[in-house]
Amino acid sequence: MNGEAVIERVAAALNKCRLEAVLIGNAGAALQGAPVTTLDFDFMFRKTPANLRKLKRLARELNGCVLRPYYPVSSLYRLAVDESGLQLDFMSRIHGVRSFESLRSRASEVTFWGHRLLVASLQDIVASKRAAGRERDKAALVILQKTLDEKRKQKA
Amino acid sequence: MKSASRRRKALAALKKETDRALTEQIRRLLALPMNKRTHFLRVRLPNGGSTL
Repeated sequence: MNGEAVIERVAAALNKCRLEAVLIGNAGAALQGAPVTTLDFDFMFRKTPANLRKLKRLARELNGCVLRPYYPVSSLYRLAVDESGLQLDFMSRIHGVRSFESLRSRASEVTFWGHRLLVASLQDIVASKRAAGRERDKAALVILQKTLDEKRKQKA
Repeated sequence: MKSASRRRKALAALKKETDRALTEQIRRLLALPMNKRTHFLRVRLPNGGSTL
């Protein structure tokens, strides 16, 4: 499915709530040019009291609610919208990435109908999936690495 | 022996073709601006599973 309208809605809501988050995972990889698919959007953010308030505001903006499905094992915040099945996962720590600042410094800014969205570099997404070492990521990693190689070839 | 070698050759040709098709797909996507690479979202189905 063409996710343009969904991404535009998410980017607009993030901008409105002034929540700074970087898109990672397969959605980020797809926007970076990798032929992969996904059901949800993963973001890295800074876990601060102000940002947690913004996250709640974002949930209201999207008619969803914030859940903590793996509390206390994980610090994942899941924003779920029942009516559309939309799911946004917010993480303050991800494997293979030192800090939010370092991820942000390498991220690309993409604009959807005037709403900006930060997308992690493909190199960071590959590093994070490789460090996580999950079985389900292995097939996607081959495709992501091939995309990264192709991007490097085109740059050279 | 002959059929095993033929099978190996067929599999090698298939792998080569799969790699070529994947590279083509990546190049097509990279040729688009980032905000047009949006055909990746799967939708949850009511009875489980998902579809593009």
